[in-house]
Amino acid sequence: MRLWLRSYLLLVRWTALRLRFMLPMFLVIQTFLAVGVVIGFAFLMPEVDPATALHLSTGAPTLGLIVIGMVMAPQLVAESKSRGTFAYNRTLPVPRTAVLAADLTTWLATGLPGLVLGLVTAVLRFDLRLHVSWLVGPAMLLVALTATTVGFAIAYAAPPTITNLASQAIVFIALMFSPINYPADRLPGWLQAVHHVLPFEHMADVVRDTLTTPASGIGWLPFAVLAGWCVAGLAITLRVMTRRD
Amino acid sequence: MLHLEALTKTYRRGVRANDGITLHVAAGQVIGLLGHNGAGKTTLLSQVIGLVRPSSGRIRLLGRDPVADAAWARTVCSFQPQDQAPLTGVTTRQAIEIAGRLRGGSRAEVRRRTAELLADLDIEEWADSPAERLSGGVRRLTAFSMAVVTPGRLVMLDEPTNDVDPVRRRLLWDQVRELAAEDRAIMLVTHNIAEAERAIDHAVVLDHGRVVATGAPADLAAGREMRLELTTPAELTPPAWSRTARRDGDRLTMTLAATDAAAAVTWAGQHTGRFSLNPASLEDVYVDATLVA
Repeated sequence: MRLWLRSYLLLVRWTALRLRFMLPMFLVIQTFLAVGVVIGFAFLMPEVDPATALHLSTGAPTLGLIVIGMVMAPQLVAESKSRGTFAYNRTLPVPRTAVLAADLTTWLATGLPGLVLGLVTAVLRFDLRLHVSWLVGPAMLLVALTATTVGFAIAYAAPPTITNLASQAIVFIALMFSPINYPADRLPGWLQAVHHVLPFEHMADVVRDTLTTPASGIGWLPFAVLAGWCVAGLAITLRVMTRRD
Repeated sequence: MLHLEALTKTYRRGVRANDGITLHVAAGQVIGLLGHNGAGKTTLLSQVIGLVRPSSGRIRLLGRDPVADAAWARTVCSFQPQDQAPLTGVTTRQAIEIAGRLRGGSRAEVRRRTAELLADLDIEEWADSPAERLSGGVRRLTAFSMAVVTPGRLVMLDEPTNDVDPVRRRLLWDQVRELAAEDRAIMLVTHNIAEAERAIDHAVVLDHGRVVATGAPADLAAGREMRLELTTPAELTPPAWSRTARRDGDRLTMTLAATDAAAAVTWAGQHTGRFSLNPASLEDVYVDATLVA
């Protein structure tokens, strides 16, 4: 356990050193995204009613977490695979779970400032009144963790070129074809069914519910689905990390 | 320290990278793995450190099985992979210190040893530069330092001198000898045979996954200590004293025993004025071994 903790802390330091030059860029991208969703998307609609405003403002931080976990993280993992970092780390005398935990920690920390910025932008723009539940912390953590572990699973299992394509596709699906920024009932029935399985709608649900605490209560189903995706992502990632030819 | 018995590795696509390799490495010994690209050298090292699973055969490292306990194997082996180490965002010193700490060294010891390596390898001037912008040679020396800053009982180096300038290559070989003097075993892959000859105790020549020659550099050259090179367009039949002969265009190269040197000079003088007789090198042994195989 001491070895694990020591390895973990050293790896966090190493990963943070590696990422520190990219951090400002991530912040800029996340801010643009949040501002783009909250202000830009509102231009698409003739008038913004309270329900739309709520979806846009809670969708912005959700999208921020998706972009960090499922786009930026896998692209950097793909790059580290091309550069040999992945192969190098495999030769180090550190537990593989410590490598994964250190990577996850760094990415979760990277997503945090953008999350806050997205939320602040939304609240300022729409003058929203939120009823924040104590579950908001665990919910955000679960969304970030799920996005990042699924992103990692793609990046570790697929070749770098496929990873880059997949992460581009995820941006478009999340932004345009997922009930994150608008209610699910606007989608055709078959797409609604698809989103019952995919994590995007559930991510938006847990973020929105914990920020607004609806009268009907906070549903547990989205949490369960996300936990399932998270465990699957972790399992695939660890499998690839420990695989031997 | 390390014993390989009939080690065989066949990859899923059918490539037999190692074919019945038997090899023993003792503490304090420097083993040089020589061979063409694709001869199976990197596969051999990867199996010892548990990155690749052998198809058959046995590995014993310090009396234990590194295949069954790969995590343990990585703690007793220091490995410098052939790929460049990841140096994005860190300075040379930071990279070496983090690697040393990850390998279990204490903060003070790692700091002292890092300063020592930077000085001994003469790369102090880049110690605090962003390592990713450095030349290939300095990056390679950084990777070497990362592997040996907190060295394991077995140190494995995959082409450690690639891109390194001739002066610093010598400094690196000195470090390898020092590690051996501390009773560690060193197994290294190199194409720089002429230099490795001075650093290694025992050479293992691999060809298509098999061991085709093995022994101390001097023993390998025994009976063919001399090399005769002559330039002549004539198709000469190599005399009885020639141990090996190969032709490359107009140039004929033969190896022979030291006792036959006088006969060789007489014979060569009869055919051409352009010849030379030199002590044979490990490189001659290597080329002959892989040509015959």
